[in-house]
Amino acid sequence: MSPIIVIIIVLAVILVALIAIFLLFGRGGSRFTFDIGGAAPTAAGGSDMSTETGFKTRLFGLDVFAGSIIAVLLGKLWTMQLVSSDEYSAQAESNRTRTISVDAPRGRILDRNGVELVNNRASLTVAAKSDVVQDEVEMQLLGNLIGMPKMAVKRKIENSSDGAQSLRTVAVDVSRRVVAYIGEHPYVFEGVSVEQKTQRHYPQGNLAAHVLGYVGTVSSEQLDASKKSDSEAAISYSSGDIVGQAGVEYQYESVLQGVKGEQTVYVDASGAVLSYSGSVEARSGSDIVLTLDSKIQSAAEESLQSWIKKRHESGAPDCYGGAAIAMDVTNGEVLAMASAPTFSPSVFVGGVSSDDWNQLSSESAHNPLLNRAVSGQYPSASTIKPLSTFAALDYGIANTGSTYNCTGYWTGFGSGFGQYCWQRSGHGLMTLQTGITFSCDVVFYEIGKGFFYSDTPNGLQDTFRKWGLGSKSGIDLPAEASGRVPDADWKWNYFTSSDDTARSWQGGDNTNLVIGQGDILVTPLQMLCAYAGIATGGTIWRPHVLKGVKAAVGDGSSVDYKTEVARTADEDSSYMDLVHRGLVGVVYEESESQAVHFTNMSVKVAGKTGSAQTSTEQPTGWFIAYAPADDPKYVVGCVMESSGFGSEGALYVVRDILGALYDQPDTAAATGGSAD
Amino acid sequence: MAKPAVDSKVGEGGLGSFSAFYSHIVGRRAPRASSGKLSRGPFFLPQLIPALLLVVYGSVVIYTASLTIADASFVRHLVGVAMGAAGALAIWHYDYRAFANMSKALLITDAVLMLLPSVPGLGYSALGMTGWIKIPLIGMTFQPSELAKLVTIYLMASLGAEYNGRIETLRDYVKLCAILCIPFGLIMTQPDLGTGLIILVTGAAIIICSGAKRTWVLVTIALIVVGAALIVATSLTDGLPHLLKQYQLKRLIVFVDPSVDPAGDGYNLQQAKIAVGSGGFFGKGFGNATQAGSGFLPEAHTDFVFALLSEEFGFVGAVALLALFGAMIFTTVGMAQRIDAPFGKLVLAGVATMWSFQLLQNVGMCIGIMPITGIPLPFISFGSSSMLAQMTAIGMVQSVWHHRPKAA
Repeated sequence: MSPIIVIIIVLAVILVALIAIFLLFGRGGSRFTFDIGGAAPTAAGGSDMSTETGFKTRLFGLDVFAGSIIAVLLGKLWTMQLVSSDEYSAQAESNRTRTISVDAPRGRILDRNGVELVNNRASLTVAAKSDVVQDEVEMQLLGNLIGMPKMAVKRKIENSSDGAQSLRTVAVDVSRRVVAYIGEHPYVFEGVSVEQKTQRHYPQGNLAAHVLGYVGTVSSEQLDASKKSDSEAAISYSSGDIVGQAGVEYQYESVLQGVKGEQTVYVDASGAVLSYSGSVEARSGSDIVLTLDSKIQSAAEESLQSWIKKRHESGAPDCYGGAAIAMDVTNGEVLAMASAPTFSPSVFVGGVSSDDWNQLSSESAHNPLLNRAVSGQYPSASTIKPLSTFAALDYGIANTGSTYNCTGYWTGFGSGFGQYCWQRSGHGLMTLQTGITFSCDVVFYEIGKGFFYSDTPNGLQDTFRKWGLGSKSGIDLPAEASGRVPDADWKWNYFTSSDDTARSWQGGDNTNLVIGQGDILVTPLQMLCAYAGIATGGTIWRPHVLKGVKAAVGDGSSVDYKTEVARTADEDSSYMDLVHRGLVGVVYEESESQAVHFTNMSVKVAGKTGSAQTSTEQPTGWFIAYAPADDPKYVVGCVMESSGFGSEGALYVVRDILGALYDQPDTAAATGGSAD
Repeated sequence: MAKPAVDSKVGEGGLGSFSAFYSHIVGRRAPRASSGKLSRGPFFLPQLIPALLLVVYGSVVIYTASLTIADASFVRHLVGVAMGAAGALAIWHYDYRAFANMSKALLITDAVLMLLPSVPGLGYSALGMTGWIKIPLIGMTFQPSELAKLVTIYLMASLGAEYNGRIETLRDYVKLCAILCIPFGLIMTQPDLGTGLIILVTGAAIIICSGAKRTWVLVTIALIVVGAALIVATSLTDGLPHLLKQYQLKRLIVFVDPSVDPAGDGYNLQQAKIAVGSGGFFGKGFGNATQAGSGFLPEAHTDFVFALLSEEFGFVGAVALLALFGAMIFTTVGMAQRIDAPFGKLVLAGVATMWSFQLLQNVGMCIGIMPITGIPLPFISFGSSSMLAQMTAIGMVQSVWHHRPKAA
């Protein structure tokens, strides 16, 4: 307490005392000391009239004292009850009314055929106040009732991830018996309550977990952002709200999140509800229809996971992750998007436990939360060769009639800088088209060298960028990566600690870049979009997973996603034909073991394998294909980390997805090709 | 026609002669003939009527409180009123002049009343003080200090009357002050600061009315102010002895700055002010107090009963209460002016001061202009001890009139 308060008190006391003195003695003070003439004091009943005046004055002072008190009280009451009454009335009203928000159910997420991928279900949840943690006996009893060790109960209550003040969820989906027992023993389970909540439910299990994402309690950053936003449409969150944290749940949060309802209640001082007043009904969020086809999606996931497992167990011990995508080249609809390893979005329901979170984010789990299809970045490897071909033709480094001789070893930059073709025995006489078909590195080393000495040294990079590499595809999913198209400026600024020679762009950088090795990074989706462009003759539609939004009320009429062209890559049609023929050749001509998996299909397929060198023993395998080759509809791609050649794993996943798309499963035995 | 005498008196007193009533209030030495029948009988009706109306008003308020507050038993309130009526009649009947020569006996009675709660087996502690006794067999609790207030009035009046209107020597003045300090000191052992302040102020008023010199009084007040400031200051400063406990300090300061104790007294004060202010001009109506009825207002039937009253009956109800208190206090002082007996004058002055100060303290507390102390509002607050004491005080006043010197 500050000295100022002390001074104020002292001054106030002095003031009151002075006022009292003046009221008592202020009037007729001269008569106060009236001499009574030495009359002897007598006991009660004395009748000496000479004292009368003194008594009279003092008693009058008492009247003034009482009168002042009443006047002061009246004055204060006047200001409180007449002048400021409205203010106090408002406070009295806000004292006794409480507004309880009623949660709105989130919108469902459906696949393109109406299959529910995410819906809601009612769940009985046991929640406890944070101070229950101090009561060992209560925690033991609660644990016994729920069937949970006491330590687990304690950990749940200590988990403050939902906010320090909020109730701690101890158990979800408890039985009616548990609810009844807690209700019947309120004194034993003080601070423990049962709440009915609607929770996210995943009828298809982990299917499309990376696309769907997951929900969680609103973070303090999101809370701040929603408060700062001036926009009318922005949802204002309050602490403890469940919001989308990844994937579609995050991307379309504003659509999925409903509008909370409000219930006004009258309460007493202890907060007990006395009666109900007006209410505003909650409006549930809108349903979302995705472009995913759950049949294709599950085929993609199953195939990807089983092939990763196979490669991991035989020959590629570092193979843990990968991605596979299937997309409609005519409009950009993503039919399947798989990423491995995967996770269960249901562990996030009701708050993810710290154990689960640590498990999901540990090194040994290989980033299961990462959607490798849009956020994974890999060297493109040979899948970039069609784009290198376009670059060479566009910039006159080569023409449609150019020929090359591959001996398996190339010394274009002098004998001190020799480089091998992946096929060390050599391919012999090559053209651009057969260079693609057989993935002949020497053909492309020549192109790289040609650019290095040309007056358009950035022709490769510019062509790659034209086809969408180095920038986001614009898919409607969060956390998309941009990849990296390296050039002289980038290298100079990136390796700042190296000497000038090492920092400057070398011929070897060009020969690396032209075959998609080295510093180039692409996402699987970027490469897929580029191949979609090759398939359509240059038109790349914006990839998307949203097909439409269903109105939450009424007839369920929907608003469709407006498809748009993300970019157009203009190439001469003769160049397009050359590349296209080259890609068809990859599937049917490169190797017999590859071809058998596609000759059993009724549709013609074009595609390209790739094997990106990694720090591990085995390269990261790629395969991207589009079909039907003559009138392309789908583009399908797969990446498998450290799995070996593209033809050793990724190719089979793509074939399985095509099999699902055309209902023509692969009947040929996987013999394990060894072609790049 | 069973009781014609009583009926006629009430009729005349209440309605018949308002001008005479007014002259009593102001305390003018009006021609005695004009006060007529009002002042001729054994009761002084201009004082008695507002006092009884206050008892009725209090019963109405406690009845509404009993609708929503479980502790506010209307029956127990009526029992308190009955006990008070008995006490008032007894003291009225007794010739108060006998007390004038009983100073020692009064002092001893006073001390015994104050110390009763400290007797093991009899005392009963609540709200942080030992101010109650539990009466054996009945099991009722009783606060003897309420009666001690009245005994102190008789005590100080009997001592002051000896000087017949003028205290000649400083020695006599100091002696009076010293004697006043005995009941005050005893009550502070409980400790009951609220009742202590009433005793101090009432006793001081009697001493001043007895004819103390102005300079002595001023010096005394100055000493008290400086002493109080020193006690507060040392209690606030670390390292110096803390004569006041932290909760006592908070109560002293909270009405200036409610934020020093937002959960306790500050909250109570805020809720009381909301109750009073939200009452508005006409109030929320009988039984419609949301602040008191829903438990936001603490002690709504005891210490903060004025807030309940104001919330239900508004400014109109509050003004009616102040008017009744004003009428009762002014007529009491008016009687003092007319009684030709120093002892009687001093008793009346003491009672009038007690009512004035309790009114200021209790209502002032509810509206945030006085510190929070547990002082009941006379005649209104729920509690048998207070009701017994306050109604007995009416008897004391009427007794002075009843046994007035008939010479004039």
